[in-house]
Amino acid sequence: MTISNLSLDLDEIERIYPESPLDFFRDKKLCLFKACLEKYFPGVRWGIQDLLEELGLDVSMCVNQSCCSGTFFQRNLITRAQFAAINERNIYELDQQADIVLFSCNGCYNSLMRGREFLKNQDVKRKTEEILNSLKKDLVIDNLKKYEILENLKIRFLHDLDFLYLIRNDVFNSLKFDLKDLKVAIHYGCHYLNLSRDKRTADAYLRDKTKLDELVTLFGGTPVDYQEREACCGWGASQLLINPKEALKITFNKLKSAESVGADFILMPCPTCLYTLSKPEYRDKMNKWFGEKLDIPTIHLNELIAILRGCEEERCITLRRKTPRLDEIFEIITRE
Amino acid sequence: MEEYSDSEWNWDFYKELVDDVEENKNIIQCISCGKCVGDCPATKVSNFNIRKIIQKVLRGDKSVLKDSDIWYCYLCERCKRVCPKDNINIPLLIINLRNESFKKGYGPRYNDLRKYVEMSERFLIKGVVVEEQLGEPLPQERIDELNEICNFARIKYVFKASKTNKNKKKKLKKS
Repeated sequence: MTISNLSLDLDEIERIYPESPLDFFRDKKLCLFKACLEKYFPGVRWGIQDLLEELGLDVSMCVNQSCCSGTFFQRNLITRAQFAAINERNIYELDQQADIVLFSCNGCYNSLMRGREFLKNQDVKRKTEEILNSLKKDLVIDNLKKYEILENLKIRFLHDLDFLYLIRNDVFNSLKFDLKDLKVAIHYGCHYLNLSRDKRTADAYLRDKTKLDELVTLFGGTPVDYQEREACCGWGASQLLINPKEALKITFNKLKSAESVGADFILMPCPTCLYTLSKPEYRDKMNKWFGEKLDIPTIHLNELIAILRGCEEERCITLRRKTPRLDEIFEIITRE
Repeated sequence: MEEYSDSEWNWDFYKELVDDVEENKNIIQCISCGKCVGDCPATKVSNFNIRKIIQKVLRGDKSVLKDSDIWYCYLCERCKRVCPKDNINIPLLIINLRNESFKKGYGPRYNDLRKYVEMSERFLIKGVVVEEQLGEPLPQERIDELNEICNFARIKYVFKASKTNKNKKKKLKKS
């Protein structure tokens, strides 16, 4: 049995649909993977949901999908087999409902990929099968025992950033406002930047990641370079609990570095990074420990697209834990 | 870097780790180039040094399990990206070492273990790590499955311990 890599082949889509990659998705069922932290930043979910609906795509959420559990695996609270079993249960449910799963969170995206990767280890695979077999032994759907490790999965995974970049021209055409030449510091996040699947070819491994930068330019903003561009946000699974001062030093360096080059805000494709870089309690602690109050706003790509599309404020940013000056950015962008 | 004499070569610890997580066998390919150290966020703010940790493992020096160093890794996978070898999975090695450290009762010095307990509770009661999820909640049947999967997991012990503590506190209050 071959455990397949479930990432969608973007190069192939661009080759088959060079004019309009969006056409590839027209007859597909899309499902948004529900990231836990979207609870704090609902605009991250609604931003992409509203856009997809406006583009006439078939989009849904899977009620049976649980948390990806990556955070528990990274904190040594569950084993590899337990993590893979939770993963396979989610994949089974998603596969029933959709052709393509979209991810707004680097952590969830990485978890789903990693869970599958672990199954290449025969010992982990055997233990995962044992766990899955212990669930609902008698429940059989479509001749499949629920749950089992599915070999020929039709489902494919796609990060929101990769998707939005692929259909960038259609996204651009849906915008009501532009970025008014605001200076934007880009943060990709470690679990997007460092995905091992990118080591498949030397070119993919060596080339810089520039999709966010290109989107910012397309939307009328100016991406600015800063020293900590590729640095971690400081979350580090358990680091903010185990070693908070060191973790927040990394967060501080990132924010300070972006502020120092005059960036108006930091843009990222991950709600976990957003949580770390924007949480008011962390900003206060940084002020207390490192003696400087940093007030640079932070925005998720999906939220930014919602703002640029002219969505109501409560659909983009109002409900989330705000960083200072976020209103200011909202006002500048939406000024007629 | 710490100096070791030839007599200190010992493969027992390495073999133990490989028995537990097969992928760890690849760390023997490490050429000590130091790329992982130079690009590591943890190294910038602490004494975390992955080259030193790998060296200790390959010399059979189990003191690495007691060191606080292994608890500074951010699992950001940067090292995996910059490593010139294809299959050295440092984040997985760190998770494995932390697991062994837990088993031996060392573990990290948590500043706020309460957060771990809260997260574990939420996951086993609601299937998410936040108070409530955005949108429809996970059906109870699915939550039961998660609990079954997590049988014998550390997350369950953390959860049970928190319940026992709560009951003890309640009893104390009553008395």
